[in-house]
Amino acid sequence: MDGSWFSSTFGKKLIQYVLVLAVALSINFALPRLAPGDPLEFFFGESTINELTPEQRQRALHELGLDRSVWEQYADFMTGVFHFDLGSSIKYGKPVTEVLADRLPWTVLLVAPSLIISAVIGIVIGAYAAWNRGKRRDLFFLSAMLTVESIPGFWIGMLLIAIFSVNLGWLPSFGAVPLAFTGGTAEYVGEIITHMILPVITITLSTVGGNFLLTRSSMLETLGQDYVYMAESKGASKRSLIFNHALRNALLPVYTHITMSLGILVSGAVVVESVFSYPGIGRLLYESVIARDYPMMQGVFLIITLGVIAANLLADVTYPLFDPRSRSRAWSREVSSSKQIGEETA
Amino acid sequence: MISKGAKWIGWTGVLMLVIVFLLALIGPYVVRHDAEKQTGMPFQPPGAEHWLGTNDMGQDIMAELVVGARTSLTIGIAAALLATLIGTAIGLVSGYSGGWVDSLLMRIVDICLTLPFLPLMIVIGVYMGPSLITQVMVITLVMWAGKARKIRAQTLSLRSRGAVLAAQSMGAGHFYILWKHIFPSMLPLVIPQFVQAVNVSIMMESSLSFLGMGDPLSKSWGSMLFYANSRSAFLTEAWMWWVIPPGLCIVITVLAFSFIGYCLEERVNPRLRAYQAASLKGAKSAVKAALPGTSTADLLAVESLFVRYPKENSTMTAVDDVSFVIKKGEVLGLVGESGSGKSTVAAAVMQLLKPPAMVEQMGIHFADRDLSRLSPVEMRQIRGNRIALIPQAAMNALNPVMSVREQLAEAILSHRKAGKQEIQERIDQVLMQVGLTPRWGAAFPHELSGGMRQRAVIAMALINEPELVIADEPTTGLDVKVQVEIIKLLKDLQQRLNLSMIFISHDLPVVLSLADRVVIMNQGKIVDQGQTLTVAHHSTHPYTRRLIDSIPRIRTARPLQEQR
Repeated sequence: MDGSWFSSTFGKKLIQYVLVLAVALSINFALPRLAPGDPLEFFFGESTINELTPEQRQRALHELGLDRSVWEQYADFMTGVFHFDLGSSIKYGKPVTEVLADRLPWTVLLVAPSLIISAVIGIVIGAYAAWNRGKRRDLFFLSAMLTVESIPGFWIGMLLIAIFSVNLGWLPSFGAVPLAFTGGTAEYVGEIITHMILPVITITLSTVGGNFLLTRSSMLETLGQDYVYMAESKGASKRSLIFNHALRNALLPVYTHITMSLGILVSGAVVVESVFSYPGIGRLLYESVIARDYPMMQGVFLIITLGVIAANLLADVTYPLFDPRSRSRAWSREVSSSKQIGEETA
Repeated sequence: MISKGAKWIGWTGVLMLVIVFLLALIGPYVVRHDAEKQTGMPFQPPGAEHWLGTNDMGQDIMAELVVGARTSLTIGIAAALLATLIGTAIGLVSGYSGGWVDSLLMRIVDICLTLPFLPLMIVIGVYMGPSLITQVMVITLVMWAGKARKIRAQTLSLRSRGAVLAAQSMGAGHFYILWKHIFPSMLPLVIPQFVQAVNVSIMMESSLSFLGMGDPLSKSWGSMLFYANSRSAFLTEAWMWWVIPPGLCIVITVLAFSFIGYCLEERVNPRLRAYQAASLKGAKSAVKAALPGTSTADLLAVESLFVRYPKENSTMTAVDDVSFVIKKGEVLGLVGESGSGKSTVAAAVMQLLKPPAMVEQMGIHFADRDLSRLSPVEMRQIRGNRIALIPQAAMNALNPVMSVREQLAEAILSHRKAGKQEIQERIDQVLMQVGLTPRWGAAFPHELSGGMRQRAVIAMALINEPELVIADEPTTGLDVKVQVEIIKLLKDLQQRLNLSMIFISHDLPVVLSLADRVVIMNQGKIVDQGQTLTVAHHSTHPYTRRLIDSIPRIRTARPLQEQR
């Protein structure tokens, strides 16, 4: 990894992420001040500010700095953020960061397995459909996956609850652990797993269509490439054609997509976590919206933005492992300087 | 032309869309109840009075669905239209103007695309207050950037086209060019973008409404489900008619647009059509009638080869009754303009033609076997082992994620088992033969120059010591100096290894200098053939004469000049 690579590709990306973060923070800063209504309500909640006397109001405005110039407020706000001070949650009466830290692990617990299952299914079926392009089974999988992709995640969740929790009574439909629990660690883990099953199926179903479609179209493109034709003309086996040549190249964009969706899924889990009342980040956003807990809501938005940025970074950093074209340029510099050596033997 | 499957998908989508639009348009005249009023008992099951039953407030579900259809379609179409318009405008300006305007706009697009869209919509929606307008604006806000990026990419490719360059050079104004040249050719690309935007925005609308962020005054399918979920529809049997119908409506509508969008996209996106599965019907290879006994001196004998492609209602004949033979150690030049069918002949010999090509022949005899009658497995054992192909596109013929050495090793291992040591030695040997030092084997294709890549491809063709090499325009895309080197290398290798070779080219002087015999093709037919010298000096065929006369005089033409 040499300097020029860092400054060109990676550096540009870093600047982009810093800008994204700045935009997200600015949205957080600007919305309560621009939105119609009483700004104090956005910090303390409706019920509290109705009880304030004019003096208390004045003092609150002063303490929050709302009576100062916008630029001073902006500077204060940014300083606060970098000290991990996101204010206090109205609903929970705790610092926003503390509530976030409680909830984040649950979301990761749902999103990570869903992502892996959905990626594997999407890639396998996508590659299979592409190889059989135009045949009946391709058409079947294509229309089936387009259909699955058209089903809203929350509706899948509701149907699963209706069938497996209410009617069959097999699986729990609510939360991550039972409300009152007495038992050993093994049982506790078992409870966590049974509570995970339905949400994980829901997230998997609502993301598998995208992975399938991307793999299929990417694979169709690589199957038409000259190097696949060359491999076929040198007598490579069907298996090698599919896996070494077509799929290995087709997976490059799929890998980027899946890694990046790690971040987006956290926000996608809003809907699914709401259906299953799962105590993750997504449900937290929903709850704070319902309770009009503005500081909490902003905190969630911020943490999700950070998650998206982290996922993007992960994709950028690991991509060169799979694509030699984006690896260090040491070789190519050597190539250009020693090209004569290579060609003089001709 | 789009595939039958895509057509089927498209028409299914249209049918579903018609159903949804009928629900929205004539629904209010058919359903007698008012969705806002209590018109029956709570949780009433479906029946004659309430076709789909009632909800917990005694409201008619069917009436709610009709209102929901109007809301969802209105928001979906309005937001998609707005996002597509903004995206198209920004994409056009960005792609057309280039420079700093482009960079600036694309950075903004990148940032918008990275922001998590659902939380963004929720947060903005909360502050702005729930309403139809908020929903449309918020959905537009998160969708325009993706559209802008796609339209920009298409503008870039349109900008460099002939008509645009011509208009520019004649001094046409920017607005004129955008309006007259770029926008019209963009329209067929914008429409699928719009259709796909509709399904995404309907999905977003229902998600937002499900989270309780919809307009509380207008019912939508998403908000029906929101109420069903928050008022515990599952505790009664009512979920069957309360939860299933609105969800199905969302699925059918979103699916209708995504089916239609897929079909339209396939029509305008050529790369989705590049590949067709092998052994699809139509790709039949028909043997007309076997002629017994070809001369044993012939290494390859192609007899009466036809290749046809279906075209609208008729067929196009790409190769028309082509027969030729090649003897051991001989170089056969196959000459013709582009589109004369010479590469198709090469692919047909290798049995590499894919549907929709239709191949017919009396026989393609190679070493006492008819290649057209071999099973796929038998043919695979011959390809790259006994007959090797040096394909046209050297720049892309190597797999970008495998090193040269890996790809060479695969060529060996596809045909025989061999020890590591033996493989590495053979690779080193063949790399040296084509003029590459063995250490280049560790390189990936992108690290090699065009000439070096073509050498690697030649190495791959020679590695199993084939009896016949088909070189299909092996110098396409290389610069002139490298072309000369590659031709020299092939000539050299042919003599050193006593290769039998079919050399395909449009470059007559090169072929004349290499080949023992030449076959001249025009529009799929062989128009002339014979010993090289005979053809060069004594051919009376008008097409051959035209080709020979067009060779620039300075180079090789002295003997020809004498002839005139």
